[in-house]
Amino acid sequence: MKLGILLTTSPENENTSTVISISSAAREQGHDVSIFLMYDGVYNIQKKEFTDLIEKGVNIAVCAFNVEQRNIARVDGILFGSQYDHACIAGEVDRFISFG
Amino acid sequence: MKKITVIVRNLPMNTRRNAEALRMSVGLTLREDKVTVIFLDDGVYSATQTKPELINLKPLTKEFEVLSMLKCTLLVDRLSMEKRGISNLLGNVMPVQRDEIVKTITESDIVIPF
Amino acid sequence: MAVELDLKGEVCPYTFVKTKLKLEELESGEELCVTFDHAPAVENVPRSLKNEGHKIMGIEQKGEHLWIVRIRKA
Repeated sequence: MKLGILLTTSPENENTSTVISISSAAREQGHDVSIFLMYDGVYNIQKKEFTDLIEKGVNIAVCAFNVEQRNIARVDGILFGSQYDHACIAGEVDRFISFG
Repeated sequence: MKKITVIVRNLPMNTRRNAEALRMSVGLTLREDKVTVIFLDDGVYSATQTKPELINLKPLTKEFEVLSMLKCTLLVDRLSMEKRGISNLLGNVMPVQRDEIVKTITESDIVIPF
Repeated sequence: MAVELDLKGEVCPYTFVKTKLKLEELESGEELCVTFDHAPAVENVPRSLKNEGHKIMGIEQKGEHLWIVRIRKA
């Protein structure tokens, strides 16, 4: 199954650890996971526990506009994309969960 | 084609969240999915005629224009309006009963409370 | 003669929305030259357009924050 996740809060919010747990569990069960970060959610790419998801095979895309606004450094393995990529994720997945 | 519903429910003036919810809604139309925005609870203030520029905030004029142009349905919860004594809605949004809001949400493939 | 579109001052996703709407007015094979001053758009709009089947003929940097993207409609 393909799972899509939208995260719009920064890492101090408990949403971050929930998203990490759900994504890790879904990957362990062999599901595809795509996460889109926007608004303050883009700050999560500064958190190691979060970017560790890349190695577990989770696809992570961010809204590059929000990243630029917040002057955050880019991280390898993450797509610095756009809202178009969010629309692609929403269109392709079987289930979509939003954390805001 | 999926039905995607975005729910805006925060007070607009102390956050960029509502503006970002609308920007995201514009983006979600790009793969030809049907996008509906619901203004609920304090979010209804975002669908009224306000002057955010007086406190140096950007008005949401452009977001609303583009959403209308892209034929997104913009619904406002009447109950939330009545509770707050709101009547000065923007031209391109539609006030509906709570039943209609519930129906829209339950019939959606994806619901994004923002 | 390519059709021109000036999107200076526009940010994502309006850059893509307006490019897409302009392309819808063109015939297949026609070219569109879009001017951007929003760096993320220069990376993302061409990638998204390719995904939609259009062809990117070139991206030219005209200034520190100014780019022209040449697109051929699918």
